[in-house]
Amino acid sequence: MSLYEICHWLAREVIVPLSTAPLRLVDSTLAPAGDLADWMESSSGLNVVAWGVAVNVAMMVGMVNLILMVYLERKIAARLMDRRGPMLTVASLGEIFQDLMGRMKPSNFRRNYLGIGFMQNIADGLKLFCKELIIPAKADRLLFTLGPVIIIASTFLLFVTVPLSDRFAASAVPGGLLLVMAVFAVAPVGILTSGWASNNKYTLIGGMRSAAQLMAYEIPLLLSMAGVFLLAGSYAPVDIVHQQQQGTWLFGLPVWNVIPQFIGFVVFLICIIAEIERVPFDLPEAESELVEGWTTEYGGIRFALFLAVEYIRGFIGAAVAVILFFGGWAGPLLPPEIWFLIKVYIIYIFFVVLRWTVPRIRTDQILMLGWKRLLPLALLNLALVIAMVELHPILAGVF
Amino acid sequence: MAQMWINMGPQHPMTHGLWNLRVLIDGETIIDAEPELGYLHRSVEKIAECRYWFQNITLADRLCYGSAMTWSHAYVMAVEELMGVTVPPRAEYIRVATLEMQRIASHLMWVAAYLPDLGLLTGFLYAMREREMFLNLLEILSGNRIIYNYMCLGGVKRDLPPGFRAKTERVLKLFEQRLDEYEMLFDSSKIFRMRTEGVGVIAGDDAINWGITGPNLRGSGVAFDVRRDDPYSAYPELDWEVQTEQEGDCFARYRVRMNEMQESCNLIRQALDRMPEGAVRAEHVPLRAEGTAFRRTEDSRGEALMYIVGDGGRHPYRWKIRSPVFTTVSAAPHFLKGYKLADIPAIMGSIDMCIGETDK
Repeated sequence: MSLYEICHWLAREVIVPLSTAPLRLVDSTLAPAGDLADWMESSSGLNVVAWGVAVNVAMMVGMVNLILMVYLERKIAARLMDRRGPMLTVASLGEIFQDLMGRMKPSNFRRNYLGIGFMQNIADGLKLFCKELIIPAKADRLLFTLGPVIIIASTFLLFVTVPLSDRFAASAVPGGLLLVMAVFAVAPVGILTSGWASNNKYTLIGGMRSAAQLMAYEIPLLLSMAGVFLLAGSYAPVDIVHQQQQGTWLFGLPVWNVIPQFIGFVVFLICIIAEIERVPFDLPEAESELVEGWTTEYGGIRFALFLAVEYIRGFIGAAVAVILFFGGWAGPLLPPEIWFLIKVYIIYIFFVVLRWTVPRIRTDQILMLGWKRLLPLALLNLALVIAMVELHPILAGVF
Repeated sequence: MAQMWINMGPQHPMTHGLWNLRVLIDGETIIDAEPELGYLHRSVEKIAECRYWFQNITLADRLCYGSAMTWSHAYVMAVEELMGVTVPPRAEYIRVATLEMQRIASHLMWVAAYLPDLGLLTGFLYAMREREMFLNLLEILSGNRIIYNYMCLGGVKRDLPPGFRAKTERVLKLFEQRLDEYEMLFDSSKIFRMRTEGVGVIAGDDAINWGITGPNLRGSGVAFDVRRDDPYSAYPELDWEVQTEQEGDCFARYRVRMNEMQESCNLIRQALDRMPEGAVRAEHVPLRAEGTAFRRTEDSRGEALMYIVGDGGRHPYRWKIRSPVFTTVSAAPHFLKGYKLADIPAIMGSIDMCIGETDK
C-alpha cells in the first residue's frame, strides 16, 4: 500500500466527510459552499485532498529528519573537536528553573553531563523564534522580505520531490530528479536577492559569490548525473533504483552505480557539497572574511530558517546521492524507507566529517576546480557510460 | 563591479582585536589597503611615567595578552641594564624556560586563530587544548594563567616548585606527539596548502626594508633572530638553531612557527637540565635609576625593543616601546595588493596580530 493510497483513504473516509458536513449545513442558497462540498466529494477533489495530505506527511518526515541532522551535526562536530557538544536535556530544565529562582545548588550542575543534548535544538529554536525581526533602515524592504521567502519556499519544496521509497512518495512528477535539481538551483537567486536587498557590502559580495559558485558547479553536477540517467533511461527515482538492482556482481550483490561510475560519483559528491554550500565550499557565508556573508543582516526566525534550509539541502543532497549511486532504498530485511534513511545518514555523516576537517577554498579556486577539473572528469564519465551502453551487447557476447 | 572600499573592522571576525583594515576592492581583487590602528590605545607609555620602576612590570605584562611573559621580560631587562643589576644565573635559566613556554603558548594561540580564519574551527579547539598544558605549567610557576607578573627586577619571583622538571617533560612529550599530529592534519591537507602557498608573499629584501621582524622575517628566508644575533639571558649557552623558510608565503610562516615550537621544546629541556643552583633574585635592587637603557628581545611576534630613560627618580622619565606588529601591519598595503578578498584573513592572520602591544 503506497503513501498515496493511504492518504486517499484518509481523505475519502475522514477528511472530506468531516469538512463537507459543516459546508452542507450552510444554507443551500449560498451556492459556493455547496459547490465546494460537491467538488471535494468528486474524484478530482479527493485527489487534491489526498495529495495535500501526502505532501504534509512528507514535510513532517523531512522536518523530523532535519532536527535529527542538526543534532547529529553538532554532536559529531563536537566529537571531532574533542569536546562534548550540547548537553541540555529535559532533566536540565528543572535545574534551569531552579537556577532562575535562585535555589540552585552548584553540585546539581553535574547532572547536566549525563544528558544527550537533544533539548538544545528546541532551546535554540525557541530563542531565535522569540527574537525581533530587524529590517535595516536603508534596506530594500520588499526584496529583503522576499529573498528568504524564495529560498525557504524552494527548499521546502524539495521534500516532496524526493521519495523515501517507491511506495513512500509524495509526488511522481515526470521530471523526477531533474526537477529536484531545478528546484535546488532556485535558492541562489534568493541569496542574490537577499544579498542585494540588505544594502550591505558583505552581503552583496556574498550574494555575488553565490552566483559565481553556481556557474562553477552546476554544469559538472548535471553532467555527472547524466551518466546515471543514460543507464536507467529515465529521470524517475523509481526507475533509477530498479535499474541498479538488475545487474549483479560478486556473490549476487547488485551493481550500484557507484561501482561503474566512480568518477561520476566523485564529481557529483564534490558538486553537491558546493550546491548545499557547506565547508569547503561555503564561500557565500565565509564568516572569517564576510562576517556572515549574505545572512549578515538577517536575524531571529529568518536566520533560524536559513539554518534549517542549510540542513534540508544537506539532507536532500545526500538523498539524491543515495538514489543515483547507492541503490536508493534497496536492501535486505529492513523496510526500504529505513534502508534509505540509513544510507542518507551515512552520506550525511561524511559531509559533517568533511566540514570539520578541511578549511574553506577561495572563489577563484572553486571556479578553477569546477571548469578545469570537474567538467572534464564529468565528460569522461559520460563518455565511459556511453561506451558501456554501446558495447554492452558485444561484451555480453564475449563473456 | 565598480571599485569599493570595505571596512574590515573594528568589529570583524578577521581582525583578532580592535583595529580596522580598509580595503579597496575591484570585484574580489584587492587594489589598495589601509590599516587603521588606535582603537585599543591605553597610553601605557605615559601611565608608566607616574609609576615606580617595579610597578611597571605589571603594565608591561598587559602589553600583549598572548605573550605577557616576553614583554615583561623585555622591560625588566632594560631596567636591569639601566640600574646595573646582575641577574643570578639560575634566574636566567628559569627565564629562558618560561619565555620559551610562553613562545609555544603564543604560537599555539596563533594556530588557534589562524585556522578558523581559513574556515577550520577544529584547529582552534585543538591548538587551545595544547595551549592549556603550557598555561598549566606557567600557572604552577607563577600562580596566573595569562598575565603572570612572574619576572621581577633582578630575577624571577619564585624558584621552581618541586617536581616541575618531571611535569614539564610529560607535557613536552605529549606536545611533540601533537605537533606530529598537526603536521598530519594541516601540512598534508590539500586545501590548507591551496589557501596558504603562494599567498601573501614577502620577499626577503622587502621584509628587511619594511622592518618586519620575527617569524614573518624568518619565513622570508632571512636568518635573523635577536636571541642569536644580540644574545641575552642564557640563550648563548644553549644549543639551538634559527628556523627559516625560503618561500616567504603564508605556508612558510606557518612552518617557521611550527618549527620554532619544536625548537622551543628543546630549549626548555636544555634550560631545565643545565640550570645551576643558587638564588633566583638579585640581592639588591635600587629604587632609583638614572641614564638611558636600550634592550631588544625576540618576542613571539618579532623584535621587541625597550628604550628607557631614567632621571634619577623612582619613576621612568620616558619609556618607548617598539612593537613588532605595529611595523608589520604598517607594511600591510604592500603585501596585500593583488590578492583576493578571501586571502585577507589568510595573510593578515599569518602575521600574527596582537593589538594590545600594537596600540600600547
